[in-house]
Amino acid sequence: MSSKIKHNQYGYLFVAPFILGFLIFGLYPVVNTIALSFTDKTLMSATSSFIGFRNFQNLFADSTFMTAITNTWELWLMNFIPQIAIAFILAIWFTNTRLKIKGVGIWRMIFYMPNLMMASAVAALFFSLFSFYGPVNQLLVRSDILPEAVDFLRNPQIARGLVVFIQWWMWFGQTTILLMAAMTAISPSLYEAAWVDGAGTFQMFTRITLPLIKPVLIYILVTSLVGGMQMFDIPYLLTDGRGSPANSILTNNINMYMKFHSSKGHIGAASSVGVIVFLMTSAVALLIFFLLREKHSTGKEIKEK
Amino acid sequence: MKTNYSRSTHILRFLVYFLMVVLVVITIIPIWMLIVNATRSTVEIQQGLSLLPSRYLVSNYKILLSKGLDLPRGFLNSFTISILTTIVTVYFSLLTAYGIVSYDFKGKKALYNFIIVLVMIPMQLSIIGFYQWMSKLGLSDSYAALILPSIASAGSVFFAKQYLESIMLHELIDAGRIDGCSELGIFHRIMLPIAVPGAFTMGIFAFVASWNNFFTAFILITSRDKYTLPMLVQTLRGDVYRHEYGAIYLGLAASVVPIIVIYFLFSRYIVNGISMGAVKE
Amino acid sequence: MKRISIILSIIIVASMLLSACTKAPEVVETEAPPATTEKTVLNVWSFTNEILTMAVAFEKSHPDVDVVYTMIPMTNGEYQTKLMATLGTADVPDVVALEAAFVKSYVESDFLADIGDLQKYADELKMYPFVYEVGMADGVHKAYAYQATPGALFYRRSLAKEYFGTDDPVEIQKLLADFDKFIAAAEVVKTKSGGNTYMVASNGDFQNLFFANREQPWVVDGKLTVDPMVEKMVETVKLFRDNGYEAKANQWQEGWFAGMNDTLKDAEGNPKKIFSYFLPTWGLPYVLAPNATSADKTSTTVGDWGVVEGPLPYQWGGTWLGVMKETKKMDLAKEFIRFCTLDEENLTNWATGVYTNEYLKAIDPTVPEGQSQAAGDFVGSQVVVEKITAGFDDSEMSAFLGGQNSYGGFAAAAPSVNARLMQGSDDAIQRALNDPLNSYLEGTLTLEEMWSTWKDAVRNEFPDLIIN
Repeated sequence: MSSKIKHNQYGYLFVAPFILGFLIFGLYPVVNTIALSFTDKTLMSATSSFIGFRNFQNLFADSTFMTAITNTWELWLMNFIPQIAIAFILAIWFTNTRLKIKGVGIWRMIFYMPNLMMASAVAALFFSLFSFYGPVNQLLVRSDILPEAVDFLRNPQIARGLVVFIQWWMWFGQTTILLMAAMTAISPSLYEAAWVDGAGTFQMFTRITLPLIKPVLIYILVTSLVGGMQMFDIPYLLTDGRGSPANSILTNNINMYMKFHSSKGHIGAASSVGVIVFLMTSAVALLIFFLLREKHSTGKEIKEK
Repeated sequence: MKTNYSRSTHILRFLVYFLMVVLVVITIIPIWMLIVNATRSTVEIQQGLSLLPSRYLVSNYKILLSKGLDLPRGFLNSFTISILTTIVTVYFSLLTAYGIVSYDFKGKKALYNFIIVLVMIPMQLSIIGFYQWMSKLGLSDSYAALILPSIASAGSVFFAKQYLESIMLHELIDAGRIDGCSELGIFHRIMLPIAVPGAFTMGIFAFVASWNNFFTAFILITSRDKYTLPMLVQTLRGDVYRHEYGAIYLGLAASVVPIIVIYFLFSRYIVNGISMGAVKE
Repeated sequence: MKRISIILSIIIVASMLLSACTKAPEVVETEAPPATTEKTVLNVWSFTNEILTMAVAFEKSHPDVDVVYTMIPMTNGEYQTKLMATLGTADVPDVVALEAAFVKSYVESDFLADIGDLQKYADELKMYPFVYEVGMADGVHKAYAYQATPGALFYRRSLAKEYFGTDDPVEIQKLLADFDKFIAAAEVVKTKSGGNTYMVASNGDFQNLFFANREQPWVVDGKLTVDPMVEKMVETVKLFRDNGYEAKANQWQEGWFAGMNDTLKDAEGNPKKIFSYFLPTWGLPYVLAPNATSADKTSTTVGDWGVVEGPLPYQWGGTWLGVMKETKKMDLAKEFIRFCTLDEENLTNWATGVYTNEYLKAIDPTVPEGQSQAAGDFVGSQVVVEKITAGFDDSEMSAFLGGQNSYGGFAAAAPSVNARLMQGSDDAIQRALNDPLNSYLEGTLTLEEMWSTWKDAVRNEFPDLIIN
């Protein structure tokens, strides 16, 4: 037993670089942001004072803040649900030994390519496509689908739809890759054994695949949530950087950016937004962990077979 | 029975290929338009989009060169930073995750929860604070400020831990100990080789993220000869009222090509999980 | 095994630290001559490559100075963020360039140095008041500019002849001398063209005019104030939209450019024309001239334009230079600014195209191929402007305007521009109005709702502003 304890001490060795790295590089910005959220500091003046929770009180009285939060949630969910669905479908088809889809590597690379594009170029492209005198209007009007040109980007639903589409387009390939990496780690002998036992495709999926890829699935869910809560690039670049039209695509981070990029640079107020977003994300993530926690028995059982 | 089976498989395959083609079209068209813009002149671009390439590729290239951009240097800088960041991220994330997964030490749970929580901190804000801190440390305008923080890359540790957990085989570790291997040795000789698919997955994503990141780089780097390729391309937008869009798109296309190549070269290592089964048997 | 791998890891990390930590030697934009004297280094930051030309010219007359020029784009706010990040650290540059959108916030802040002792040069050169007014806060001068960017109105000569019987700038200016006349003219254009020609491309085109002619600033004693001119702007914009005087071709988009070369077609393919564009000095060579010919070269309006002052004076854009307070080279920095913005010879050379690539390369061979300054930039000194205007009679831009001297057109507009009311928060407050205004024009918001939506947006960005 003593050897086991001795071995466990090595754990500290392995995590030491991380802790050190964090203390040197990561700690200051985090503490700084939290501290700033309790002040009225602006970047353009050298003095500031401690104001307690006033920033936070202002936030909750501000309808724009609440709009930003609901928008961010809606935009994330509308993007994530189709994304994970399609990624699953693709991953299953690509790893299915019976279907034997050819050229999987090529397909996968093509679907991943949008992730490599710079958000600014993509946003500019869609902005051009859907402008009042742009190609989409021309196409739709001339083929009589629309009676007259529509200012697409001034329609809240369409603007949101575009943001959701672009986010989906940019990320579904990466999600597919992750799911495939997880699925291919499952030994095919498990599926074969189940098939011999008479299991159907659906049963194999829910009883074998899902539980065994749960760790990676949690990862995908949580990182997508974090990324979604901080969605910035596309909604910022697609219209005027202020969530137009009518605040329909105003997200948390745009709200935050507007606060600290305005002429005085209200970094205190902006930091308070950051802190709230952080707390909200953590709460939901903890919920996800709790709901999807490893019921250790099932996973290990199958593995030990 | 046999004919039915193969027929439904055939139908399914047809459906799959059809959907693939639709997805490919949706995926490729915007990218194609962006690449086509690299062959069009600024005036053409300002006045509309096109699916067909034009004849300004060479002139855009000349404009690109005339701006005094040291593109090869920028490429080298990008490559250096991205490779180093990738290696640092992947290695230290796996190291840390291995520590968490294989050992049971006091404070382990707290540490892991703390790491998860770190993932949730919005980066946008902290960049200014981070810069000022780097400045105090004397690391402003250095690559260290860009690379070293990835030693503590919470997101990657999170992924590595989930990944290692799903492929962890305690018997192998025990076997290694019996053989007289040191703890670090077990990590390097036994776990790392098994974790190759996950490592390459993390690596590719880390590489792409590092390569494309120009905003943070602009804040931390000042010296022109340290500018990365995407940063140089962004300086093309510098003449406020006179954007050379043709050259800009050419620059953007040029900075995407290397990562496509890297991905192409290394993607096959991602999906070698099948060999896992062999280890078990 | 363990020892070796630990040592290896330490070596790897240490070497990375070492290689990355050492700062590369300062980027030298100019070739240091094999000199025995130490050159003084001046750090200049800008968001364009324009000022690099002046930096090189500066080195010609100040051979003992090495100007280290750093360009950081501002497309995604990189320049502003970086500048904000370095405030108060040791990495601040000596001289900073500031664009119109954010110059006032820096001028109003504590971070720029007082360079008021340069004002005597500004007075000597009769710098246009609005140019140095922008660089002032509480009576203290903190920034100067080499260019003046007054706005003007560019109209289509052929269309003017058709609808008003004349294309003479003097006559046209009489027809458009104030906004009521402008509106009347818009009606004429619409009727006589059967609705196929729009007076302006979009209402965004003339909003600047109203903002520039308020009587009160946006913030008075910490309180948000809505000047009557702003209300008039909203009325006018609504009028233009309801009566179809504007083409809804928003600025910087395809339609806006298409209108410049007569290829504008509505969604069904019917051709439409735009009668006039409000553009400032830099709009002529950088926006109108390049886009006056369609991309496929089939349609052009070159030579068919005229310029007048328009109904109201205004200014748009511009670059100012200031000195950061913490600089250790105050005198040199001030001298640099004096050279760039208040030196008669430099301004003359700048505006008349003396700074060709060959000229610059002769001073510093490492200057990039494309670096040069073409003639035509409108400078901020009335003395220089008067001296060189005649030289532009035969310039390319004048040919573009059907023989009208472009420089003269701006010289006429410049003196009446007023920037006394400009404040740092202007940009954000004005931009916050765009979205509610557009919703009002579309009918999705009533006028009252528009104002209250706008106020909410302003409140969000400026928590300490008093808004009722």
